[in-house]
Amino acid sequence: MYNMVKIPAYLKPGDAIGVVCPAGYMSYEKAQVCISTMQDWGYNVKVGPNLGSTSQNYFSGTDRERLEEFQNMLDDDEIRAIFCARGGYGIGRIIDRIRFGEFKKNPKWVIGFSDVTILHAHLYSNFKIASLHAPMASAFNEEGFRNEYVLSLKNALKGAKIKYHCPAHEFNRKGEAVGELVGGNLSLLAHVTGTGSDIKTRGRILFLEDVGEYLYNVDRMMYQLLRGGKLDHLAGLIIGGFSENKDTERPYGKTAYEIIRAIVKPFPYPVCFGFPVSHQKENYALKVGLGYKLRVGKSRVTLEE
Amino acid sequence: MITAAATLPILSGTHEKPADKRKHIIVPPYLKPGDVIGITCPAGNITAEEIMPAVQQIESWGFRTKAGDTIGKKDFTFGGTDQERWADFQHMLDDTSISAILCARGGYGAIRIIDKLGFDKFKAKPKWIIGFSDITVIHCHVNRNMNIASIHSKMCNSFPDDWSKAEPVQVESILSIRKALAGEQMLYTAIPDPMNRTGTTEAPLVGGNLKTLETLSGTRSDLITAGKILFVEDTGEYLYSIDRMFWNLKRSGKLDTLKGLVIGGFKIKPDDPGEEFGKTIYDIVLEKVKDLGYPVCFNFPVGHQKENYALKEGISHRLEVRPDSCTLKEIK
Repeated sequence: MYNMVKIPAYLKPGDAIGVVCPAGYMSYEKAQVCISTMQDWGYNVKVGPNLGSTSQNYFSGTDRERLEEFQNMLDDDEIRAIFCARGGYGIGRIIDRIRFGEFKKNPKWVIGFSDVTILHAHLYSNFKIASLHAPMASAFNEEGFRNEYVLSLKNALKGAKIKYHCPAHEFNRKGEAVGELVGGNLSLLAHVTGTGSDIKTRGRILFLEDVGEYLYNVDRMMYQLLRGGKLDHLAGLIIGGFSENKDTERPYGKTAYEIIRAIVKPFPYPVCFGFPVSHQKENYALKVGLGYKLRVGKSRVTLEE
Repeated sequence: MITAAATLPILSGTHEKPADKRKHIIVPPYLKPGDVIGITCPAGNITAEEIMPAVQQIESWGFRTKAGDTIGKKDFTFGGTDQERWADFQHMLDDTSISAILCARGGYGAIRIIDKLGFDKFKAKPKWIIGFSDITVIHCHVNRNMNIASIHSKMCNSFPDDWSKAEPVQVESILSIRKALAGEQMLYTAIPDPMNRTGTTEAPLVGGNLKTLETLSGTRSDLITAGKILFVEDTGEYLYSIDRMFWNLKRSGKLDTLKGLVIGGFKIKPDDPGEEFGKTIYDIVLEKVKDLGYPVCFNFPVGHQKENYALKEGISHRLEVRPDSCTLKEIK
């Protein structure tokens, strides 16, 4: 039934990581700690032209500039991983012009989250190539480079097998699930529904996180996944952070977790809430597309590659 | 049986719904004096007092009104619980004494009840469903699955308390609901926008709130736009978010085979400081359709604004976009 997912080669000391800005603008200073940390990890870091560019607007460069930077990194044999310095918005504008021919022959890790969810979904559903949902450059700042979440990226790049724990949440539904891991930012997953980057979720473990959304919109997006048939045949569901939610003048009356719990209530699979994948500090590196075992127990949750 | 089953996979590639095969849209009967318009809250809540200006105005047109059980109900932002909103709407659909269903307001919530609604009686005896914004869910669902026309228009919460102080465009917009319900031929004019792409086309009109269209993508209420004139409007969204939503339309194939594109009002949420998007609504739209030849008109009077005329969804219209004029006319 399954085409095995293709896992890009893990990194060895001296391998090169390309740093790109495929979406929003980021100054070089904000990525400085991240770049030097990755050098400390033993990698060569090659920075694309859009980090700290002269762009005057939201984006790190024009569509063409962002496309070229990403395309060059994809096609450059020396680059073993492509690290997105930040998300924001913009990958959806260029994704259909990216040529994946070389990348398919010679897969490499694509790293990031938030807007980068569109790449994770696209690579998994079109090429079955694994990628890394992980902290981006700003997570390294303010001593972040020492925390276990940024270090989980370091370990993932080296090829260490993933095994994460988190405490149980009162909303969890206990059980065990085995399946390929897919997911990312809820807004982006809703947005790619019906497009060429849409993901299949049947028999898989789905993880979701989001930031800064109105609660009614969280509900609406969950309904979109539900009505698109994306929630009924999951192996398991992992709910990460839903931080900085906004509310309407008249309160919505439910928290994001209450909204999600109610929508997945009819289904039998295990569900865990509060998993450390989020727009906050708690954001473990997850290899998208690989097989995992999820155990939602009485006192703790384990996700193991 | 086995032979028949074996041939099924060949057919399974076509996802055409029965509704698409019908050549002609089903037009519910237009209203006559004395006909009853039911008022219900499938989404956000409204009080009995707040619907009074609409009730009085509609009754002055010679129609009768019937307020549903959800008027005055409140479950946080909703006009009652899912169960209450479903039951009220279902009642309106099934009650043969009701000739049209006016949604009292939008907000959020139609998606939570749409799959629980039974449309059998409605299909057997169609009636007008009226509203916009969140009600786009119902327009799209009915258009895609039943090919029944509906009315995209202002709702109860847009009727002015003091009719004499209302702006002329607001009055005109509200009176256009009466015209649409009475079956008068609709004609709309928009101020020609220098960014319009000229051309003339005739096709069924479909559309609504852009964000809602995006959230229907990939679901059984997803709008089919091929061969149609599509109109979209939205409010309170960032430019980047509008851009992303147009990418959803494009990447889900909804812009490729249109006959025409009508851009209504877009009240834009200003960019955060340092996050200037750098593109206008014109840039966002035109770059998506630049290789496609159909007419495009901007600033059409539909949306979350005072000038928001009643549009008949599903019905064929002639769109004429010229350098010095822009009109949309119902084909009778």
